[in-house]
Amino acid sequence: MSAPSFAVPHALLPSVRLRRRLVILAGSIAALAGLLVYLRVDPIAAVRDFHYVTDLIREMLPPNFRLLAVKPSIWNSLVQTVSMAFLGTLVGAGIALVLSVLAASNTSPNRWTRLAVRTLLATERCTPNIVVLLVLLIAVGIGPFAATLSLSIGSVGMFGKLFADAIEHVDPGPSEAIAAAGGGRLHAIRYAVLPQVLPSVVANCFYAFDVNLRAAVALGIFGGGGIGFELNVARSVLRYKDMFACLILIMVLINLMERVADFIRKRLFSMEGELR
Amino acid sequence: MRSKEFSLARYRRHARPAIVLVALVIAAAWQCEVNFRDLLKGIAKGLSMLAFFFPPEWRAFPEMIHPALVTVIICVIATPIGAALSIFFGLAGARNLAPPWLRLLCRSLIAIERGLPEIVILLILVAAFGLGPFAGIMALAIGSIGMLGKLVSDAIEEIDGRVLDSAAAVGATRLQVIRHVVIPEVLPSLVSHSIFRFEVNVRASVLLGAVGAGGIGYELNAAINQLEYNRATAAALTTLALVFVSERASDFLRARILGGGTV
Repeated sequence: MSAPSFAVPHALLPSVRLRRRLVILAGSIAALAGLLVYLRVDPIAAVRDFHYVTDLIREMLPPNFRLLAVKPSIWNSLVQTVSMAFLGTLVGAGIALVLSVLAASNTSPNRWTRLAVRTLLATERCTPNIVVLLVLLIAVGIGPFAATLSLSIGSVGMFGKLFADAIEHVDPGPSEAIAAAGGGRLHAIRYAVLPQVLPSVVANCFYAFDVNLRAAVALGIFGGGGIGFELNVARSVLRYKDMFACLILIMVLINLMERVADFIRKRLFSMEGELR
Repeated sequence: MRSKEFSLARYRRHARPAIVLVALVIAAAWQCEVNFRDLLKGIAKGLSMLAFFFPPEWRAFPEMIHPALVTVIICVIATPIGAALSIFFGLAGARNLAPPWLRLLCRSLIAIERGLPEIVILLILVAAFGLGPFAGIMALAIGSIGMLGKLVSDAIEEIDGRVLDSAAAVGATRLQVIRHVVIPEVLPSLVSHSIFRFEVNVRASVLLGAVGAGGIGYELNAAINQLEYNRATAAALTTLALVFVSERASDFLRARILGGGTV
């Protein structure tokens, strides 16, 4: 006698489902263990040596805010980090705008320019900031200038594709009207394309500033100057109380700048019509 | 006639913002120690340096396979851990599931965490756990919580209250509501964002490697510090390929998930 046809399908039987889940669970654990062995990481050691973590926390507390009085250059380094992000975003956006006009199918002079610029942008997007920075540190020397340049170059990659896509999606009507009235390609770009993409360009600038501020902190650690540099100095001389103070300053700075950017963005977009 | 109609007057209202912007740029440039002489010299130096970077050291590519795998594996382990943790943070940070004090606590933790770049988290963890991939895994897992946790919380808060009520009305306990209503609701967007996060983590992992998490970032940094520029090119090209492949894979998988297919 075979099983009656109204039975629950075999694959949905609770015992079968349970077994399948157990197999998946066991498989994941085995895979995780295998990967950890490959990395030569011993997670049990982390638990066994947990006192290092508590030691560190004890070392870090309380944060040494006297640092701000003793070392006034900390204030400067905060401003420097913001400046790096600001300038990097702005220069990146400017270069990206020019390149994206060349990369967009409706404004590019010809296919080969378009292909070349697109390829350049794609390569750039895939190059991590750190690679660019390491090269620039050698070329222009250690300091905030190298980090600013590296952020600009990174922003070009980030912006270029976004802008080019925005330009390709503009309404062709105004450009055609300008062409019909005898305007050249540059006129069309200035008076038809640019006004249409400007809001998205500005919005992307704010987003990129947010990303770049974090990146500016990170690049500082590698010798790019700013508060990241101070943090790393405090860490490498084992002054953990100073490091914790820098840490809190970074958090405050990033949250504060987020608020400021939000405020400016709201004001800017409330008068969006005038912006053009 | 035409030339008279054209005047600078219509640009006048842009004057004040323009002046402020220019002033800010100059101040920022001064802060960043922008120096065009250095830049020109740097470009010249950079171009002459390119000669040192090329050709890449072909023999070094086989040696790059292991570090590249380490970089990827760090992300492979860290992203699911971060996603799993962010479910807990997400549940505890949702208005319609958690009590206000717990929500506030979780939301603040997530906000603090979002304010910290992964590399800063790594520096602290390296001080605690020492150099190595373990600190990198922890840093990326914690870093993922910031983005994914907020996402899950927001997604849960958007669930229609009536759905939760009807589940409770047929006698589901709070855990059953979470298991059978909330999780299925947020899982697709969590999976899709986790895949995106994986891509972000690959880039971050390269950076973390340079600070001491190991992997391809470490190789790159070490090669440049030891002035082995040809080897550095090999590492940089490997990194490029890694990031490119992860971006493609992530795009492909997310498109499939959003298209309703299975992974």
